[in-house]
Amino acid sequence: MKKLYLLPCLLLLAGLTFGQAPKKSGASFTNPAQAKKNSFLDKQWWLGFKAGINLSQVAVEKRYSALSPGNYDASLTDKAYNDFSNLGSQATLEVTFYYKGFSFSLQPGFRQSAFTYSNNYEWTDPGNADNRLELNYQNEQKIDHAEIPLIFKYDIIGNKLRPYVQVGVYYGFLINANKTVEVSGTDYASGGVNEFRNDPVIIGAKDLFAKNHWGLLGGIGANYNLGNVRLNLDIQYRKGMSLVNSTENRFGSDRLSGIGEAMDDMKLNNLVFSFGCLFPMRYLASGFKTLDQR
Amino acid sequence: MKRLFILCISVMLMASCLEETNPEFDQKSFTKIYDNNLFSINYFPIDMVQTADGGYLILGGRRLENSNFTGIYLMKADKDGNFVSDVEVEEGFVNPIAQLAFINNTYQFFCMDPLTLQVHLAQTDANLEAVNIAPVNGELFYPCAAQVDGNSFVLLSYNHVDKRSVLAVLNANGTVSQSQAFSIGAGEQVEEPLINHFIRTGRQYPFEAGRIPGGLYYFNGFYNYTFSLVFTNFNQDDPSGVVQGIQDDGGLSAVRPLSATKFAAARFNFGDNYLLPNVTLNPNGISSSVDLAGNTLPELEPDAHVKILRTTINNKNVLVYGSNTRSKQIGLYFYDEATGIFITSKYLGFSNPFEIAQVISTDDGGLAVCGTTYVAGRFPRICLIKLHPDDLEKVK
Repeated sequence: MKKLYLLPCLLLLAGLTFGQAPKKSGASFTNPAQAKKNSFLDKQWWLGFKAGINLSQVAVEKRYSALSPGNYDASLTDKAYNDFSNLGSQATLEVTFYYKGFSFSLQPGFRQSAFTYSNNYEWTDPGNADNRLELNYQNEQKIDHAEIPLIFKYDIIGNKLRPYVQVGVYYGFLINANKTVEVSGTDYASGGVNEFRNDPVIIGAKDLFAKNHWGLLGGIGANYNLGNVRLNLDIQYRKGMSLVNSTENRFGSDRLSGIGEAMDDMKLNNLVFSFGCLFPMRYLASGFKTLDQR
Repeated sequence: MKRLFILCISVMLMASCLEETNPEFDQKSFTKIYDNNLFSINYFPIDMVQTADGGYLILGGRRLENSNFTGIYLMKADKDGNFVSDVEVEEGFVNPIAQLAFINNTYQFFCMDPLTLQVHLAQTDANLEAVNIAPVNGELFYPCAAQVDGNSFVLLSYNHVDKRSVLAVLNANGTVSQSQAFSIGAGEQVEEPLINHFIRTGRQYPFEAGRIPGGLYYFNGFYNYTFSLVFTNFNQDDPSGVVQGIQDDGGLSAVRPLSATKFAAARFNFGDNYLLPNVTLNPNGISSSVDLAGNTLPELEPDAHVKILRTTINNKNVLVYGSNTRSKQIGLYFYDEATGIFITSKYLGFSNPFEIAQVISTDDGGLAVCGTTYVAGRFPRICLIKLHPDDLEKVK
């Protein structure tokens, strides 16, 4: 598994070293002034801010439960995940170096991901149909990560509207996590059909999640030049490559394991939508604007 | 180049901090609740051992439809705590008692015939492939408590004919080599709480039997109208020594000999509980448990069930007291074995009630706690909580 980490590491290395390569002087320009101007226009630094929403999907690696059934199949109580159904949010600072249509972008940011799952349990009595209890556990997780994505972009066409494609890697650090458990059910054994819903229990769950994780990302986006400012719409799919849960602290919360709850080994994928604006960092002269306005 | 090197090191450090599925963690620490989707099923644990494969064998009881006594239930869990198999022993044998002992390469425990009340010795293997039960070779009835002493058992039983507590030593085949009987007192009322204990309609008394290493044998049970700790050498009709209780309102709730006169014990007194991790008892004289000082723990439920484990955790010899709290958690209290000084405590279970049945040390130097939890607040189910020494880092 560790070997798999080498790929993004190398990509990260290559990105950083190429992005910081020393300037090369032009060799064959006939007009030195024009050549200097063209050379300047080949590069640009962009600084900006993006924010938006994200939707999460859980990829289960191995299932776990604190409940170990003796007379029924454990799969009957497997967690049912609700993919891409809970909104999270993110805010990102973007620093991008542009060079001849290619961009290398560092986008440190904060991301809150949310995902839910449910478990259903039922206890019955073959000798007495009234002896029956159905329970449903709704679990919602909200995880806050600080993330450092390193992204390689390519501008498909260079115009006022500049669509691009992108690939990259990201590394995330856990900041906080909370878990909300809501129990509802139907009790047929108390003399009638008693449907109930308990107040949700909110539990700090930072120990249940991995301190760090990483993943790959790919996506599309577009920049729109508005004066000197560049508006940006960005869509990314982030594929988690390492577990987001803590394997060592799976049963670390007595509150959760006491009700039979234990986190699966899981990776987290995200669909991320962001909107923001970028500002150029290099100007040739007061009358000269950014390279996009050539 | 230097920058590249630093970057490489940083990336490697970041990669080393990532989580991976690790089967070792699965067996280090876990909480498992053994559920059954039958509404009225009722299994409860009595004792537990760790098997050679790292799994766990649990001896339990079960409610019977056609008998007032407790049926026998055996369950095997793997090293990760997952349910493997179980056995409901036929209703012809009832009233299983601790200790579930590994002796002569089999797992053995005592139970009884519900009709003749004769004590039987049951044997099984680590995978519960077969359970063989045979009567012991001697007139012993109503098994109360047992403990292994080398290759022998020390068994406390109750003779309902003579109204006597009977302490006996049996070999691994169930043959009695020594025994001595002690009167519980005359009258029907004396016997009533005992019978209620066996049919589980009354209080569950903390019966115990054992031996001071290389010395006297003892039992914690009824003697002369009182729940007492009784010492005997089997040669005299009268006890060598007695630590008297107050009828069944006071006495010892657990006892573990540490040396000839030094004990780890717990006592109850009209509902109050006292833990005595370093107490001197006189096995050759008469004393009263009421006179013994101890650590009062108001958080424990009245006349709490107490288990004492003598073990080594993080290279420290400790006494682990396990008991039930009023908040329906399992409380573990750690004391320095040499001094009796309190080290730390740990509470297990939340959300639903938890009750302790047994605490044992595990191969990795941790603890395993077996008990009962009430799933959805109502269904009694066996639970197993495994703690790694890392979880007990305060025990130093």
